[in-house]
Amino acid sequence: MKYKSQKIAYWFFATCMLLLSLQIVYGFVMGFARMGFDVLHDWVPFNAARATHTNLLVVWLLTGFMGAAHYIIPDESDREIYSVKLAYIQLISLIIVGVVSIIGFHLNFWEGRKFLEIPRPLDYLVVVNVLLFLFNIGMTVWKAKRYTTTSLVLYFGLFSAALLYLPGMIQFNSQTVDSYFRWWVVHLWVEGVWELIMGGILSFLLIKLTGVDREVIEKWLYVIVGLTFLSGILGTGHHYYYIGVPEYWKWVGGFFSMLEPLAFLAMAMFAISMYRKSGRNHPNTIALFWTIGSAVMSFVGAGFLGFAHTLPQVNLYTHGTLITAMHGHLAFWGAYAMIVFAILTYAMPLLTGRKLWNNPTGLFAFWASNIGMLGMTGAFAVAGIAQVYLERKLGLDFLTVQKEIQVHFLGLILAAIVFTSGIIAFIINFARFGVPTDEALGAEQASGDISLARRS
Amino acid sequence: MLTKFQAKLFFLVGTFLFSAVFLLLTYDSLKYVYSSPSSKTLSEEVIRGKELWEKNNCMGCHTILGEGAYYAPELTKVYERRGPEWIRVFLKDPQAMYPGERKMVKYDFSESQISDIIAFLKWNGELDLKGFPPKPELKSSTQLVDSASAAIVPPEKFKQICTACHSVGGAGGNVGPALDSVGKKYDLAYLQNWLRDPQKIKPGTAMPKLPLSDSEIKDLSSYLSQLK
Repeated sequence: MKYKSQKIAYWFFATCMLLLSLQIVYGFVMGFARMGFDVLHDWVPFNAARATHTNLLVVWLLTGFMGAAHYIIPDESDREIYSVKLAYIQLISLIIVGVVSIIGFHLNFWEGRKFLEIPRPLDYLVVVNVLLFLFNIGMTVWKAKRYTTTSLVLYFGLFSAALLYLPGMIQFNSQTVDSYFRWWVVHLWVEGVWELIMGGILSFLLIKLTGVDREVIEKWLYVIVGLTFLSGILGTGHHYYYIGVPEYWKWVGGFFSMLEPLAFLAMAMFAISMYRKSGRNHPNTIALFWTIGSAVMSFVGAGFLGFAHTLPQVNLYTHGTLITAMHGHLAFWGAYAMIVFAILTYAMPLLTGRKLWNNPTGLFAFWASNIGMLGMTGAFAVAGIAQVYLERKLGLDFLTVQKEIQVHFLGLILAAIVFTSGIIAFIINFARFGVPTDEALGAEQASGDISLARRS
Repeated sequence: MLTKFQAKLFFLVGTFLFSAVFLLLTYDSLKYVYSSPSSKTLSEEVIRGKELWEKNNCMGCHTILGEGAYYAPELTKVYERRGPEWIRVFLKDPQAMYPGERKMVKYDFSESQISDIIAFLKWNGELDLKGFPPKPELKSSTQLVDSASAAIVPPEKFKQICTACHSVGGAGGNVGPALDSVGKKYDLAYLQNWLRDPQKIKPGTAMPKLPLSDSEIKDLSSYLSQLK
């Protein structure tokens, strides 16, 4: 690391790992419930487990993004974070909001709108929290010694994510309108501004890991985020087919959804071609694995599997079935979880000065979690296709169909065990780095990063 | 090839242009929603129902308009499928209706709260959803018994509650067995005892003990016993 204040990133990353572990626990609770072992029903009914599972995902990814920002922004701006104290206050308040929400979910205290379950009073705290974060990072960028596209894209992404949280806080009486604006948050986050954040982190990592000229990488970053918005904004329409809005959304949503995979394809091709161009071998190979892996898996999960059911004719049958869970799992894993893992893997040796790269545990973590996640996606896919045919085509009763597909959840649990073993390995590795020290200042020298940054 | 400036322009113009189109379509969609018939039937009752729906995170298991979790049935057309009477009985004690099956949390809703939820479900079921949920096109339509030729017409309760799980003449649910020839297997007295408390006759059966009055049980069993 170059600056002392980059150490804050570590505490965000550690929180990240903790929240991810908890998310997996709730995933298992739901997996077993689906297999018919709903023993925790009285304490953790399915809706509580589901709200906790998805909200933890959002919170740990956001924590990861914030950690990434605290690492990347000082590096890109060539100065310390504006206020270290503010960063700690913000992290602690984030944890408090998270903990209170999770406890609330188990006490029937929530807003009850998919992905936006955090109770309304806590929403205001979230807003204050995010404003603090944006102010701190924004001041750092503002007072920077240099402005880079990477840091601007990253900041614009974080800023828009905060702005787009607001439509989800307005109350509507009609389920149609409620749904309409809920997607403003959920879709425009996931298929818009989060991709901006991902693009920012990806280009930072590619600059550092491949040594390709900054100008080249940042030019393509613009093209990719441009493609993302071009397809993603009107692509929101694929959530509007069947909620009671005009028919034309089928055309608009269908057409722009077809373009959505292009942004992901471009991202994957970009990452791979930059890697091929790389003039040097960065010693932290596993960070490169996660970086390229993220670009590729996001194309498979978000791009390809998303496309597989966004055409209105297909979506009519798959809408509201396990097919969505299939796509959701690989999309979030590939695009967002893996990029957080990539920045973590890249930053940890530099924060702590311990060159624990390319060890067998780290390699195992990469392969086991990816194979496990692909297995889970497969299990959801088979269960989902069976559900669509039995329930939507043959007209069997919902519960009858659920009994038929129970067996696929055994497959899901087995794959989840493989996945979890990978995550455990990753966390063990993370713990082995220990906490960051000032002695690691200038650690880039060891890996040659400084000279690269200068070259650009 | 593209310069960095051109790439930046592509990003900025693209984003601005498509955001503008999106806002325009949003304006048009809201105009459409607020001028559609559904906005006139959006009563206080429906709004209270929606609040209850959200307060208890029903979307954490069910889907409505296809949105939510996939652990419990899609409820957009539940009013049409089950009818208000069945939903009322179900919400009073969800687990009693499906003993030993996937569980729903027992919320202690009051009568008026249940009415609000039913109003909410009815309102959603009447929306113009452009063909969602799809009609199962491969469903078999075999007629086993000509229900019209039966001497006694099915009692009101039968249509409200029993058909949710059982079918007669190919119409009705498929959770429980079809009742087309139930009169051949069981006599009147057995059917009466069965309806009074199924669990007593066959412990562990999926058939719930329904809140039926004596006269309703009499009507139902005489109807059922003639299905031969």
